[in-house]
Amino acid sequence: MSGDSMPFAMPLSRLTTDAGEVTGLYRELRDPLLRYLVCLGISRDEAQDVVQETFLSLHRHLTAGGGQDNIRGWVFRVAHNQARNRQGSYHPRFGEPLDLHLDSIPDETTPERVVLEKEKLRRLEKALASLTESERDCLLLRAAGLRYREIGETLEIPRSTVGDTAERAIRKLTEALHV
Amino acid sequence: MCEYCGKLVAWLDRELPAAEAAEVQLHFCGCAECRERLAKYQQVSKTLDEYCIAVATTETQPSRRRLVPVFAGVAAAVFVAALGISLWRTHQQRLPATPVIALDPVSPPRVTTSPTPEMVVGANEPAQRRHVVRPMLREAQNWMPPAPAIRVAIPADAVFPPGAVPEGVNFTADVSIGPDGLAQQIRFRPLLAGLERRPTQP
Repeated sequence: MSGDSMPFAMPLSRLTTDAGEVTGLYRELRDPLLRYLVCLGISRDEAQDVVQETFLSLHRHLTAGGGQDNIRGWVFRVAHNQARNRQGSYHPRFGEPLDLHLDSIPDETTPERVVLEKEKLRRLEKALASLTESERDCLLLRAAGLRYREIGETLEIPRSTVGDTAERAIRKLTEALHV
Repeated sequence: MCEYCGKLVAWLDRELPAAEAAEVQLHFCGCAECRERLAKYQQVSKTLDEYCIAVATTETQPSRRRLVPVFAGVAAAVFVAALGISLWRTHQQRLPATPVIALDPVSPPRVTTSPTPEMVVGANEPAQRRHVVRPMLREAQNWMPPAPAIRVAIPADAVFPPGAVPEGVNFTADVSIGPDGLAQQIRFRPLLAGLERRPTQP
């Protein structure tokens, strides 16, 4: 992942307990957080609930004078834990066939291209299901735009472990997809 | 396998320290295996990003499916309510119609004033409660006995036996005639001859 794809540029030192700052952070992290939660396997409705609860917790955390260091990692960690707590009420995505909607593929592609794209995503899904949970979480958080330090904060593992895990997961996917 | 292959993802993610990143980049320029592997990693990363977007887009469909029973339930409730209202109206039309509609269905509906609460209460109460006191008093104050139309002098001997009535006492009857030509009132009163105004003596 290149640095250009990083959508987050908010200086964390400027973050205060002001509600406006929380609102700005919400606008910044809402979509990637939703994507990450949905990719974890919970429904979009549940993911939206988790996002709301997470930012409510963030507001309380900042109001209570909580630490502002690595706040994005904090947000993803809270959301991740809440999603895991709901695991009993949702069906894990991985291992189930994914009915990818054709709307997600650009219209200008040919039908053959659409079929190939869907097949590629299905193979990736199957490969993701073969990964360990930490490897999968690392990759999904990385795809959500988090830095290794923030991934480590989210998964509560060292930063160096994040690098090794991501490297291993990518290699596994490459081999599974026969790229 | 190249010793730098384990750092390619971190280098790709710009997570390596500057010195280490420069070292990997230098190696990368001269290692075909690392370049090929790096291209594969980039492709997998791109596919993973597409997958996340596709999943987030696709995941909206189950929500729509969950809403289908809700909409179906609402539609069924509305249909049942509409059916009930229709049947109720049909039942109301089959009931005995109001006299206005039954007797003259062509004419427009006629607005009839319902009896006021005062009149309804008064119907079950004594008749005098319905009269207003003030008009009666005004009418009594304005009442004047009609002037006698016919005065009939009746001698006492014609009514009473001789000696029953003192001498000089007679009777008179004032009869008033109504608009219909019949006797409306008969007033019978004594006429004392001794009490009549006598002519003054010079």
